[in-house]
Amino acid sequence: MQQNPKSGIVLNIQHFCTNDGPGIRTNVFLKGCSLRCKWCSNPESIHPKPELAYDLNKCIGEKECGLCLKECPESALFVLEPDAKVRVNWDLCTNCAKCVPVCPPNALYLFGKEMSVEEVLEEVGRDETFYRESGGGITLSGGECLLQADFSAALLEAAHIRGFNTAIETAGNVPWRFMEKVLPHVDTMLHDHKQIDPAKHKKWVGVDNKRILENFKKAYENFPNTTFIARTPLIPGVNDDEEHVRAVLAFIRPHGNVVDYQLLPYHRFGESKYGFLGQVYEMEDFRSPTPESVAYLQAIIDESFSRTGGKG
Amino acid sequence: MNPATRHIGINIGGGYVPGLNYVVRGVVLAASELGWDVIGIKDGFDGLLFPERYPSGGLLHLTNDLVESLSSGAGAILGTNPRTDPFRVQAVNAENEIEELDKSDQLLEEVKAQGIDAVISIVSSQALNTLFRLHRKGLKVVCIPKSVENDVAATQLSFGFNSALSFTVDMLENARLAAHSTRKIVVVEVPGQHTGWLALQSAMTACADAVLVPEIPYDLRAVAAKLKKRAESGHPYGLVVVAEGANSAAVPDAGPDNPLKKSLAPMATNQQGRFIIDRTGLAAHSVSLELQRLTGQETYALVLGQLVKGGSTTALDRHLGLGYGAAAVRALKEDRPGVMVAFQPPETKFVPLAEAINKVRTLPLNGLFTEIARSLGVSLGN
Repeated sequence: MQQNPKSGIVLNIQHFCTNDGPGIRTNVFLKGCSLRCKWCSNPESIHPKPELAYDLNKCIGEKECGLCLKECPESALFVLEPDAKVRVNWDLCTNCAKCVPVCPPNALYLFGKEMSVEEVLEEVGRDETFYRESGGGITLSGGECLLQADFSAALLEAAHIRGFNTAIETAGNVPWRFMEKVLPHVDTMLHDHKQIDPAKHKKWVGVDNKRILENFKKAYENFPNTTFIARTPLIPGVNDDEEHVRAVLAFIRPHGNVVDYQLLPYHRFGESKYGFLGQVYEMEDFRSPTPESVAYLQAIIDESFSRTGGKG
Repeated sequence: MNPATRHIGINIGGGYVPGLNYVVRGVVLAASELGWDVIGIKDGFDGLLFPERYPSGGLLHLTNDLVESLSSGAGAILGTNPRTDPFRVQAVNAENEIEELDKSDQLLEEVKAQGIDAVISIVSSQALNTLFRLHRKGLKVVCIPKSVENDVAATQLSFGFNSALSFTVDMLENARLAAHSTRKIVVVEVPGQHTGWLALQSAMTACADAVLVPEIPYDLRAVAAKLKKRAESGHPYGLVVVAEGANSAAVPDAGPDNPLKKSLAPMATNQQGRFIIDRTGLAAHSVSLELQRLTGQETYALVLGQLVKGGSTTALDRHLGLGYGAAAVRALKEDRPGVMVAFQPPETKFVPLAEAINKVRTLPLNGLFTEIARSLGVSLGN
């Protein structure tokens, strides 16, 4: 992958986050992911380049405007009769973004933009006071932030110079050289154990986890002063069984710098029943785990970390 | 005849509809009359792109003998691939990263290498986009529309719609009988994200009390009033048909402000894109609950979904399939690739792909079928 250490493709910068590392944090989401989790709720973070987005509510319609229709070289924009507003034919759209600057109400816009280390730091730095008070800092997330290893390393190095605590969230499916490049600038590495069994990992995530586990083991051993926190997005039927939790514990517990194993109960959005489909008729319907099953698994983790009373 | 076109490929892109073998048969018989060979490509373009996945080969030589012995039922000899898009093929690269690759060039080369001069594709509206792109890259292609929603705008009738309609009517009539016997109101959801053809035509045929379609935002108070009136006259049961894309006038479709949709990439909110929010069942359940609240009567929801494709192929679809197959061969004979075969009674026409894409065939609000429904006393929920 061709990398530019000076700038990266940033999807979003989220302020005042409290779940992704110590204290109050600013999460910087980088675009691009090397996995395809079937339950992914942020598909806009998958593609490494900026992507077209469209807000139908903002479109003022063909009669008033229609400027975008003339710009699209792919015949990917059209008007649907009932409301005379524009629709995007996503199968034809190539994300060339020629329609974006001509759209007066910004109904057409881009997910993701190129930002320099300085630009990101400037925005992140606005929260500096909160970091001081809370021991917080910057967390790089994604997508997979380690895919933009040069940019991530440069950004976190610069954050360290400013005195910010640094954390990353990674699924670990990158060449070791990427992880090795970024980790010297990381205080806390939050890392996913989505499924410890290679065959099941391949089924749900798209590739097996051989390299991921190798990377994590090397990271634990080569970076003894870094704090590691293992995590599992808890998805019923995929990884919410005791056997899985115990297998992850067996993998991480020999390493003293892995200080916690957190379960992140998967949340469905509102009441909507939905599934992300690789194929139209292969529907996956992921449900949220029950509080009882989360508590049961959490107790196993607390016992392993010799904590009593649990965390909630 | 264009002597250059002698080996035709045929494949199926998009979802399954019943009776696809009839289209294949139509193509093979018509081609054979011209002395042409027909080569079936399995599972969309997978048979060409991933021959290693097929122990007996990704291609199938289709002879008259073979197609005459094909099942007259709902099966499809070639298989379909709902996600056939050679422009976005998911693959694991040398770095163990999953990525989407553009394999369209490879596909075109493979088509050439196999000696295939042109491809006839039986496609849904989404796959039509893919074929349009391939045509722009130089592939000679003729498309045949298929859809159980009848949502392809350039044709009056997509292949498979009539069979799905016929089977849906049967199921609605059964549901109605059950509702009658149990003294309940049944709300049945049928496919139709953007268009209400299947819902409306099946509902009027099955004498439903009301039908809710995407084109007409509904007000359930009107439907409830009608059902209440029926109950008061000694008929405390009813059948309400709702298309999965129907929306309440009071709470319009959540749109991008909905937190679910807001959090997703635009492609995720596209019903036919790579990622799909599956809304099957939502409409039936919300309508059923609301009607129960408004009428005080017991209601229950029934979701037909893909079941509507489970029936046998009607005579009309068999005619249409054979006719579409023959017409597609005729388009190639007349050297008119880059078109979709369209049934525009009384004729079969060839519509350029550029004119066939980006259009949805929606119900005209004051068209023939809505008028008939109103005359029969079927409430349209407005």
